[in-house]
Amino acid sequence: MREFIIRRSFYTLITLFSVATILFFIFRMLPGDPTAQVVSPALDEAAQTRLKHAFGLDRPLYVQYVLYLKNLVTLNWGRSFTTSKPVFDMLGYRFWNTIFLMAAGLCFTLVIGIGGGIIMAWRRNSALDVGSTLVALILQSAPPFVTGILLLIILSYRFDLFPTGGMLTPGIKLQSGILLFLSMDFLHHLVLPTITVAFYYLATPILIMRDSMLEILGSDFIELAKAKGLRPHVIMLNHAARNALLPIVTVSSVMVGFAIGGQVIVEQVFSWPGMGQLMVQSASCQDYPVAQATFMLLAVLVIVINLLADISYGYLDPRIKLVRSMQE
Amino acid sequence: MKLEAIKNFTAGQARIITKNKFGVFGSVVLLFFGLVGILTPWLAPHDPWVSLYGADGCLAMLRPPCLEFPLGTTIMGRDILSQMVYATRTTVLIGLVSGLISIIIGANFGLLSGYYGGKLDEILMRFTDIVYGMPFLPFLIVLIALFGRSLWFVIIAICCIVWRTSARVIRAQTLAIKQRQFILAAKARGCSNFRIIYKHIMPNLLPLLLLYTSFNIAWSILAEAGASFLGFGDPSNLSWGGMLYNLWISGKVRTAWWWFAWPSICIILLVSSLVFISRAYEEIANPRLKQR
Repeated sequence: MREFIIRRSFYTLITLFSVATILFFIFRMLPGDPTAQVVSPALDEAAQTRLKHAFGLDRPLYVQYVLYLKNLVTLNWGRSFTTSKPVFDMLGYRFWNTIFLMAAGLCFTLVIGIGGGIIMAWRRNSALDVGSTLVALILQSAPPFVTGILLLIILSYRFDLFPTGGMLTPGIKLQSGILLFLSMDFLHHLVLPTITVAFYYLATPILIMRDSMLEILGSDFIELAKAKGLRPHVIMLNHAARNALLPIVTVSSVMVGFAIGGQVIVEQVFSWPGMGQLMVQSASCQDYPVAQATFMLLAVLVIVINLLADISYGYLDPRIKLVRSMQE
Repeated sequence: MKLEAIKNFTAGQARIITKNKFGVFGSVVLLFFGLVGILTPWLAPHDPWVSLYGADGCLAMLRPPCLEFPLGTTIMGRDILSQMVYATRTTVLIGLVSGLISIIIGANFGLLSGYYGGKLDEILMRFTDIVYGMPFLPFLIVLIALFGRSLWFVIIAICCIVWRTSARVIRAQTLAIKQRQFILAAKARGCSNFRIIYKHIMPNLLPLLLLYTSFNIAWSILAEAGASFLGFGDPSNLSWGGMLYNLWISGKVRTAWWWFAWPSICIILLVSSLVFISRAYEEIANPRLKQR
């Protein structure tokens, strides 16, 4: 197990490093002046030269690359072109906003997915089963902005049940830290984005849980439990569901990777002040230092979560270990 | 002879899809959108970019569906039906081109890596891992923001990412097939590696390849719609996502339900029909699913 974790972590480092490298070259391939991605063209001549020197842009490419990596690791991500604030400060609080929304959405998806999958397998081939499959597939085909806007139109514009966007009602006294995330106002704002994220990703866990349940229900130890005369719901929950959970763990790692994309859209629709919204804003006004740093942070998120899921999977199913990464 | 083989193949595929009710629905919808994509210039009643005037002589701004404008108009007085028809063409084009390119990349990655194993496998799969580390939509946004909002950059950016899933799955399946008797026999006969991979292994992966082609097209369409909705679509090639972006920035989401409804319904219809067809293939590629 320890060797497995060490090896996976090593691969993760390589992946992180490669993504950073790819990012470096993408931004250097920029048409026009390649220095335009760190030094704002709006500055005067002297300031531009000074900044170019500070970022090593007047030196050869490999020196720039080393400097870039160093700045990345030391969290020296430059200043925004539009607000001139240090990029790191702009990202700090947005990072947690994004994490919180994503975690809420994914937890909600998993709860409905696992519960729904158990019920569907229980009443297999019933109208409920077929209907839920259909609904899950259609929800998966609806891009999050369609679901999000639909929820906004019905629940916010029409019936005024939920706020139309943002994270807090303007003017409300700001609480800090964890208190903010527990305040009623915040949770009220959280409902619609969470539902939107959850709906989009529901199909994967619910269908996998159903299939995995059906597979387990066909195995010998379930027959044995039935022969012992255990009650059906005991068999369903204690025997089948616990074993059927395993594939969900693998899938949730892949889901998180995809969830980042949906996250960007949901944040945009609900004006959620997270990294996704910042990414879209900075990319559309050519604020390259911010766009670059946000992208890198989102990539780190995906990669680290994949690593955690892999390790927990190896922990839950010791048969797997590194064999899995070789076979899949 | 060749024609006969193609005929048999098509008939076989059609049988797989039509055996499943969802599959039938999916293929009908696909055919419909395909036809609209081909016949675009003849189907659109107006130029999608021209502001139109109603029969009353006023600018036809935000008209709900009526006889004159069957699907309504936008805030600029543009005909939504015509926009829908043109957007269908863009979406179908992006879906097909990036879906096909990405399955070709993914299949070759998977086949080569699974068949040769060893160092090559290690390199190709580590590379796939790196691509898995790329957040999809942010990557699209960055690439499009840097290189410009053109249709072809959108397609290239989508292809860069979408192939990754098919590569892993096809590799796993190649590993399984490689061990089978007929491959060993082909090797003993002295077939070249190239021939074994593409003549012996690949045909056995066909259901899987078609399944993932369908998935890849669906993912490409969703990705393009997402990027366009965020304002990173090609402005001269309108897509459904782009129409919704125009709606969103016009600030008329509250009132113009028709402007929201038609593009949304079409995205859902097209993507879900691809998902339904995939499910029909999944039963073939994964027979355990069928027995249930």
